[in-house]
Amino acid sequence: MRAGRAGREPVPGGAQASPPSGNLVVAGVGGQGVILASNLISQVLLDAGYDVKKSEVHGMSQRGGTVVSHVRFGPEVHSVMLEPGAADWIVAFEWEEGLRALSYLKPDGVALVSTERRIPPAAMLDHRDLTLDYAGLGEVPPGVVAVDTFAVAGDAAAAAPVVAQTVLIGALSRLLAFSSESWQEAIALWVPPKALAANLTAFERGRALFTDAGAAGAAATAPHGASAAGASSGGGALDGAALSPEGALAGLVPTLRIERSWCKGCEICVAVCPERCLVLDNLDVAVLAHPQRCTGCELCAWLCPDLAIDVGLVRAAGLAGRPS
Amino acid sequence: MKLESALRPPAGGPGPGGAGRSPEEPEPSAEKRFLRHGMMPHMLCPGCGHGIVFEAMLRALAGRYESLDEVAFVAGIGCSSRVVGYVDACTLHTTHGRPLTFATGLKLARPELTVVVVTGDGDGLSIGGNHLIHAARRNVDLTCVLFNNEIYGMTGGQLAPTTITGAYTSTSPAGNAESPFDAARLVEAAGATFVARAQSYRPRDFEELFLRALDHKGFSFVEVMTDCTEYFGRTNRLGNGADLLFSQARMEPEIDADLAGRPTLKQLAAKPVRPVLEMGVLHESNRGTLEEAMHLLGARS
Ligand SMILES: Cc1ncc(C[n+]2csc(CCOP(=O)(O)OP(=O)(O)O)c2C)c(N)n1
Ligand code: SF4
Ligand SMILES: [Mg+2]
Repeated sequence: MRAGRAGREPVPGGAQASPPSGNLVVAGVGGQGVILASNLISQVLLDAGYDVKKSEVHGMSQRGGTVVSHVRFGPEVHSVMLEPGAADWIVAFEWEEGLRALSYLKPDGVALVSTERRIPPAAMLDHRDLTLDYAGLGEVPPGVVAVDTFAVAGDAAAAAPVVAQTVLIGALSRLLAFSSESWQEAIALWVPPKALAANLTAFERGRALFTDAGAAGAAATAPHGASAAGASSGGGALDGAALSPEGALAGLVPTLRIERSWCKGCEICVAVCPERCLVLDNLDVAVLAHPQRCTGCELCAWLCPDLAIDVGLVRAAGLAGRPS
Repeated sequence: MKLESALRPPAGGPGPGGAGRSPEEPEPSAEKRFLRHGMMPHMLCPGCGHGIVFEAMLRALAGRYESLDEVAFVAGIGCSSRVVGYVDACTLHTTHGRPLTFATGLKLARPELTVVVVTGDGDGLSIGGNHLIHAARRNVDLTCVLFNNEIYGMTGGQLAPTTITGAYTSTSPAGNAESPFDAARLVEAAGATFVARAQSYRPRDFEELFLRALDHKGFSFVEVMTDCTEYFGRTNRLGNGADLLFSQARMEPEIDADLAGRPTLKQLAAKPVRPVLEMGVLHESNRGTLEEAMHLLGARS
């Protein structure tokens, strides 16, 4: 297995300008654009005059589940489905999905696999360390190419991380070597206009992976460019003015318990709190930024879709900076 | 090269939860004890109204039950149906559209259980529409809560029989030409003996209606309007979870005005307008249940 580095690699499996027929698997998880990518690939093949058949499986796609599309082309294609071991090319937008799809690869086939990893919701229980071991999986077929799509895409994926996967389409365009224009036209047809420029840039950077010597090297360690919303701050005239009378009498003040690992940052609590107590922090997790203002009304807890907020009374002395 | 060595994901994932807690924080509220904590966080999208309704159900139950050992949750397939996987009760996650059939069987076999069916508008009104009307007709003593988000959330935002006229969905790209079902009235006409409607925007009202439905002997039905942020909200450009929630509270003319200001809705004439629906208890009556008719209660207890 090789790591994709710009300009260092010859085209794996050799470029095929017009293969008589072929089979592709496009794999990933919901939201990564697998269906769009397989539409786009089919478009190039249709434009090149092939009979093309395509199938897709995306039952649990909204839940971060597997999305797989099979694309078959030739003079005449009958069945839409591939058998294991029949794929000439695999394009996988997610690392585990790439592993899952490998059984479809021909011994001499080529798999372009993104190193992006999406931990399925069920496996990310407490946002724990995402390092997993996969001992015992054995040798990887020689045609597997791991591509750090985010690093290769660079700033092209800054606005929308999903654009990074277009790098693999660029790389594929070297293997399925129809003209660069036919790929670009298909991208223009399928990608929303506002994302076109970024996708074309990512496409070119992916194309550059295999031949263009001297292109900017892909940094394997580049961060994944998640942009964090800044937490707003700043006290206000209301600070300290809104303690509940009963609680204050008993020396108790209302406060929140926020289960950070359950919060998905939807901002409902921020919007519904009448006292504007809550903000999202730089990890997009709700925090009680102005505890002094909290009246304990519980609206945030009732309307939190993630069950992440509890409201209760605590001794005022326990909270630094509170008027008690 | 061995695969494992290539499998180190990039460093810098979020650390363990819990950082940044205040030194003294309140206890988790009572309904949290009914969660399967190992399953959390749940899989619903950010802002999805289903989570609000789900927590309200648990809160209502927490005020009444010590444990949920005698309560069975039965659900079909969909984001709404999926919530039963997170509650530490007797749970059945069944096939698409069929939770009421499983629940009917369960109730007849174990009449002493409190049986709650959680279904969606797709699950309960499309594929499961027939089961819904027949469960109502039979007047089985169970409670059905239908999460109506006016769309098939789980499978990618397709048109549902509840989608309002004019709304954009992935299968009505030019706006929905059809008229929606009024689920509550449909079930009432089919013979349900308790019918209510609530909103995720008013979870406390929902709790009250849910408890009344549980108390009712016979088929009780609570339709609860919730928001699919990811599909209904996004496709119709209605804003984020909070915007959708607030739109439940507003009156039709105001929503009209809001939508008119958004250039993204292609056909103003066919723009979706959230209907003003009657909330609260819509119907209550009494007649014999299926269990009584089959003399199951006497034979069992
Ligand atoms: C027999 C069968 N047909 C179709 C599906 C695909 N499917 C899964 S969920 C769903 C719709 C669910 O819609 P709804 O009940 O409204 O749930 P929501 O996700 O909106 O909460 C469909 C059609 C299936 N799982 N099984
Ligand atoms: S797809 Fe819609 S209904 Fe399903 S979890 Fe997401 S927001 Fe909720
Ligand atoms: Mg639905």
